[in-house]
Amino acid sequence: MKKKKLDWVTVGFLSPAFVFFVLFIIVPAIASVYYSFTSWDGVSPDVKFIGIRNYVEIFTSKRFYNALKNTVILTVFISLFENFFALVLALLVDHVFRLKNLFRSIFYIPVILSGIVSGFIWKTIYNYNFGVINSILGAMGKDGMKKDWIGDPKLALIMVGIVLVWKGAGYYMIIYLASLQGVPTDLIEAAKIDGANPWQIFRSITVPLISGAFTINFTLSLINGLKVFDQISVMTDGGPGFATETIVYLLYKVGFGEGRQGYGTAVGIVLLFLIILLNAVQQKFLKSREVQL
Amino acid sequence: MAKETKIRVRERVRVSDIILFILTLCLAVLFVIPVVFAFISAFKTNGEILANPLSLPAKWSLANFFDLFQRTDFFTATWHSLFLTIVSEILIIFIVPMGAYAIERRSTKVTRMIYTFFLAGMMIPFHLYMFPLFKEMKLFGIYGKLSGPICCYIAGSVAFGSLLYCSFLKGVPLEIEEAARIDGCGPFQTFWQVVFPLLGPCTASMIVLNGLGIWNDFLMPYLVLPSDRAKTINVEVYAFVGQFTARWDLIFAGTVISMVPALIIYVLLQKYFVKGITAGAAKG
Repeated sequence: MKKKKLDWVTVGFLSPAFVFFVLFIIVPAIASVYYSFTSWDGVSPDVKFIGIRNYVEIFTSKRFYNALKNTVILTVFISLFENFFALVLALLVDHVFRLKNLFRSIFYIPVILSGIVSGFIWKTIYNYNFGVINSILGAMGKDGMKKDWIGDPKLALIMVGIVLVWKGAGYYMIIYLASLQGVPTDLIEAAKIDGANPWQIFRSITVPLISGAFTINFTLSLINGLKVFDQISVMTDGGPGFATETIVYLLYKVGFGEGRQGYGTAVGIVLLFLIILLNAVQQKFLKSREVQL
Repeated sequence: MAKETKIRVRERVRVSDIILFILTLCLAVLFVIPVVFAFISAFKTNGEILANPLSLPAKWSLANFFDLFQRTDFFTATWHSLFLTIVSEILIIFIVPMGAYAIERRSTKVTRMIYTFFLAGMMIPFHLYMFPLFKEMKLFGIYGKLSGPICCYIAGSVAFGSLLYCSFLKGVPLEIEEAARIDGCGPFQTFWQVVFPLLGPCTASMIVLNGLGIWNDFLMPYLVLPSDRAKTINVEVYAFVGQFTARWDLIFAGTVISMVPALIIYVLLQKYFVKGITAGAAKG
């Protein structure tokens, strides 16, 4: 069925999807490259071309470096812990002797909540006066350990990170689980007969054989970590101060809050380059460790 | 005989199994507690929530839900969420599988290029192009209307949808299509009457994963829909957090209304979530 020439039927089948994709993603994406070189405010019709001034401002502003730092901390935190928990959950679900499916379903439940809902629930859990954590600490008589979990600039970012790990781990668990089920049992049996202990089996057989899942999950969790928005908006609004302002949040704030959409778009372009860069580094690092059976 | 096997099965349960089970159970409880907490809080009065977050409601009543729909425009929000999700999914299921079919079955240099182009497009974050996108929507006259987000949801589903359908189509035998063609079916008819019904599980995965994304979306409706009335469930919950800082009971009722449809779909169609994620990951 391999054809060389494009015929009208193919065009007819593919063009609706193609038109939507180009019109509502590619065209605005290309336009944003242009707007990133302007002082556009999003409202007025005159758009002034100002060359690379937006980019110069980005790389000389403290606010951007703060956002970059927050983004890196949050993304690394999320990727590491999401993958750690996802792997632990997958191994547990794979080995538990009863109720496998029920456990798998439960671990996935946070994934189906919206960012706003999960953020709100945890905002109340973290609440200083009537939050769950402080109430438990109070009931245990440990009032000294009570904290304003998301009101404290030192804690806020990690507290938001915890919510994201809770919400995301189940998704990556599904991918690890599928990968674990692809590990041939005869290989593990053979290792057992040879006297390998569970840790050796895990280290030398399971890990290399699920390395494909590591690549996928780290790539996905890093990209998703860079794009976190909903939870920050409902839990902290970038605050206290700028303690939880990430690049995406900075972009949104300058674009809509301060009416500087040209500058905001330039921040978006920087974000895209960051995504591409991270992806390339990661692919190189993890792909080289993959083992094909 | 039967009794003997039963005993033998029971004997095989080792201590390590029990420990593993308890560990899994503890983690499962930790994972589900925040959701249970939200459900319980939705039935408590505001005073009860503030007095003790860990207590059960003194009386299980739906008062918060009635209040929510009476005092706020939550009905419109629910309607908008439903409308956006359902209409977008219908259009997506009409548009995306056809495109994937063309890529997979009528493969040419151009279609392969377009496929690569789609996948590369997945890397572009929404936040990058949202400002020009809104300007474009104003130009087309769909800004502030429900059709605005719908167009964007269709565009946003193309890349992942093509990936999912293409990988699934590889497993559908060609002979059936050839037989249909010999019997005189046109390409359009062949696709919709012969191939599409075979793609059922894939379509189910697409609907649950993509539909959930639309149902849960926040930023697009928040920024695109007009602010003189309620937007979607998630936008309302967000707005309540700012507005009614004194009425946590109402906000919890709102979060439950957001969660329940998603949970029902999840419980009923769980295997399609799993299939969709693993199929997407295998190719991505």
